[in-house]
Amino acid sequence: MKPDVPDGQASCGRSREPLSAVSRRGFLKGAGATVAGVGLLGPTAIAQEKPEAGGVPTLAAEPMQLKLRVNGVEREVRAMPSSTLLDTIRGELDLTGAKRICDRGSCGGCTMSVGGRVVNSCSFLAVDAIGQDVVTIEGLANGDKLTDVQQAFVDYDALQCGFCTPGMIVACTALLEQNPAPTRAEVAEGIAGNLCRCGTYPNVFRAVEAVVRKRKGG
Amino acid sequence: MQDDDKQISIRVGFGDHVKELQVVLPNGDIPPYQPGDKFELVGQSRSRVDAIAKVTGRAKYTYDQSPPRMLHARILRCPHPNANVLSVDLEKARSMPGVKAVLSFADAFRQNSVRFAWDGVAAVAAETELQAEEAVRAIEVQYEPLAFCVTREDAMAEFAPQVGRRNQKNTGRIYPRTPRRRGGGVDEEKLAEMLQRMEDDEKLVAELLGESDKVIEGEFDTQVQTHSPLETHGVVCDWDGDHLIAHVSTQGTFGAQWEATHPRGAVRAESAQILCEYIGGGFGAKTSLGREGVAGALLAKSAGRPVKLMLDRREEHTSTGNRPDSQQQLKMGVNKDGTIVAFKARSWGTAGNGLGGAGAHNDNIYDLGAIDKVEYGVRTNCGGARALRAPGWPQGAFALEAMMDKAAAAIGMDPIEFRKKNDSHAIRPHQYDRAAEMIDWKTKRSAKASSDPKKRGVGIASSMWFASGGGGARVLVRIHRNGTVQVRNGAQDIGTGTRTIMGMVAAEELGLDLAQVQTFIGNTDDPRGPTSGGSTTAPTITPAARLAAHRAKEELLDLVAEKHDWDRSDLDLASGNVVRKDGQPLATKVSFKDACELISDDTIETVANRPVFGRRRPNYEGFSDTNAGVQCAEVEVDTETGEVKVLKVVAVQDAGKVINPLLAESQVSGGIVQGVSYALFERRIMDRQEGRMVNADFEGYKILGSVDCPEIEVELFDVYNGKNNTSVMGLGEPPVVATAAAVANAVSHAIGERIESLPITPAKVLSALERKERRG
Repeated sequence: MKPDVPDGQASCGRSREPLSAVSRRGFLKGAGATVAGVGLLGPTAIAQEKPEAGGVPTLAAEPMQLKLRVNGVEREVRAMPSSTLLDTIRGELDLTGAKRICDRGSCGGCTMSVGGRVVNSCSFLAVDAIGQDVVTIEGLANGDKLTDVQQAFVDYDALQCGFCTPGMIVACTALLEQNPAPTRAEVAEGIAGNLCRCGTYPNVFRAVEAVVRKRKGG
Repeated sequence: MQDDDKQISIRVGFGDHVKELQVVLPNGDIPPYQPGDKFELVGQSRSRVDAIAKVTGRAKYTYDQSPPRMLHARILRCPHPNANVLSVDLEKARSMPGVKAVLSFADAFRQNSVRFAWDGVAAVAAETELQAEEAVRAIEVQYEPLAFCVTREDAMAEFAPQVGRRNQKNTGRIYPRTPRRRGGGVDEEKLAEMLQRMEDDEKLVAELLGESDKVIEGEFDTQVQTHSPLETHGVVCDWDGDHLIAHVSTQGTFGAQWEATHPRGAVRAESAQILCEYIGGGFGAKTSLGREGVAGALLAKSAGRPVKLMLDRREEHTSTGNRPDSQQQLKMGVNKDGTIVAFKARSWGTAGNGLGGAGAHNDNIYDLGAIDKVEYGVRTNCGGARALRAPGWPQGAFALEAMMDKAAAAIGMDPIEFRKKNDSHAIRPHQYDRAAEMIDWKTKRSAKASSDPKKRGVGIASSMWFASGGGGARVLVRIHRNGTVQVRNGAQDIGTGTRTIMGMVAAEELGLDLAQVQTFIGNTDDPRGPTSGGSTTAPTITPAARLAAHRAKEELLDLVAEKHDWDRSDLDLASGNVVRKDGQPLATKVSFKDACELISDDTIETVANRPVFGRRRPNYEGFSDTNAGVQCAEVEVDTETGEVKVLKVVAVQDAGKVINPLLAESQVSGGIVQGVSYALFERRIMDRQEGRMVNADFEGYKILGSVDCPEIEVELFDVYNGKNNTSVMGLGEPPVVATAAAVANAVSHAIGERIESLPITPAKVLSALERKERRG
């Protein structure tokens, strides 16, 4: 059963909640009045409304300058009002760990953390990330030092082709923040939105369990 | 036998089952790994050499490439399942904002018709993805839509619309195959012989069935499965004059290079460098450059700029191959003592608008007595088949293993005992008991039915595969004066771990740790490697890597022997040092690094071809031509909702000599996950009215997720097969063969009624229970 989420924010897997009170349509209608301004820059920043023949106001498809905080660093990016967070971060910042696999929020390959919550960034607008901390797979390791979750994925071979791995690791990292000692069923539930075609789930479970043991000092 | 061929005696086998073989070592090969060999690295679980790149997001796949000035391309897809293309007008699209190149498939491929919905018609490259999409919509195409059929039943019906062209019938025999003369045309003489043989087989099997104690019958249906790799097909192409540089998401870098440079191909590059260090899954679908690859290359050429063309999910589901469906009508004659005396099989499958690959391998694995088997392919207006991890096998095993269970039940024999009775494989008979023990077969098989609406059951199934590799690989080993070592092959690692084990066998030979060698793959500027198909990559590349490292070692030891005036034949490399073969200490300690400093002209560089005897029989006789496996599954079936949950799958799997157990277990476990997914969830659904796939996404086309993942236990059977110098057998395909069959057998054990159709959906379970109840 899909939760009732605002338009433009696809259901993000069982364990994920609606991410923001502002919907895409809401943003587009009210651009400049309510949300815009926070982090929007320069004269092209505010998308211009142009009445169409029918009198319904729509936005011109103009790229805007946005400020996003990605992996702890303020970055300026150009994005359309309709640009997804995924495309913006991949295209503008060349952070290509997150993947576009299904492009509709059903596979988790694009998983990022926004404001501490896990989102499918293919179904999340870049403008909705303004003012929030965005963390991608590239932001987890400290230089060459892997996080314990990344290291466990290496040690337990929780990856094969590796294409789902960035999303899987971001999801597991977030899961352990919310629930430091998940059961195997809770791990499975927690990554239910992340598909892996090579079938590495059993090793993902083992990797997460190893992290839990280690964090407990085991 | 050539001059440098040498006859030796080798030991092959596993555990207590070891025998001696006389073999000839061709092409200066070295003896295979044998029982009792001491290893420092081989046989140890080591993490992948590319794991860190993958867990940090730094691994750059084709999809992640973005060279400067790159354009984005999209393909126009036809909405009709069968149509002639009368005209394609690209002019409007050409003048759209941002558009830099356009092409029609009529020009590029001389394709003037489409035979399945979502077949390609034209392509556009533009500055942005959005502009490319808009331009694609502006292309004007005139179609002449034709009648069509998208299901096997519709295509086989009387007066069905013709799917093919010219005189192609919708249904055609694909096995036994019509003999053809060299240069085309049917060989009438051989055809007559073949038809006679078919008639004789049919008669003989009918007689034997008539005489056997019991005749078991079954009619089985399986679905179309799509590969669904997470990285879609695609390319990023750039040109330097007539030289093509292309990142391709491919299982065959050298195949793609061949296609791109073939004088009669569509791209016709003078030379090409194909790059694929990482690939997001393939499973058999990515063995050619594909039309998207050709289109990407041509658009880049015409625009004079790099072009990225990646398919979207819908295109991936509809137009990049699948595992054909099947209907299999089987008969098995069995005697009360448990002997199978005869087997009859008729099958029909649709591989899209062609016939190839539509068969089901239902007559292998066991000794089935006399066999009468005919397979038919059925043309439909659907996307064509491509090899999907053990093509033909999971569907065949599903039907065959159900027949085995039915036959065992009919004569009152335990299913495992019945299988053992009809299995003459060199290895598999030793695997049944272990698999049964791992799933607790005896207890679970004899458990009384509970009153709980959730019923449990266990089932068993077997597998076999053929992969001991062949020719077509060359590995370069380079030892640098500063002690660094490179191992290079230009083929790809599709997630199997080939890159890691290539490094391991080379490091083992040089007495080094895996961390001390650098591995390079996925670049056709490096030495040639095979296409990853048929589970042949590991057993093809590793013997070449070992031999190349061995030759590099010999050159290095020559330098050491000369310098210290030692007897060269006493020396070896181990634990990072030069050592004596007899274990005695050397007069002076010489480390690997010390030895490397003796290299005068910067590097030792050796290249070795994969040793082979010839095309027909590339390998040594070995212990067994095929590798074996047995799997057991335990399921829980909710008889109120019809939901099946696979609780556990255990696998005993022979992979020849296991180089890296951690990665080998991942291969087996992954195959099982795909097998469970095939058994319960996956199914392409075609709309018969519109002729389109209705579930071309990951919501409607469900692949197994974490919540449905069973507990999986893998036990590797380490077999010194002796087929090649590393004794490695491929492991990509074997594990997926048995899983769906074992799951289906477990379901029928749980509910006491057989479901002869995949996937086993709740609806099918409920109707099976109803059928059982009605029968009383």
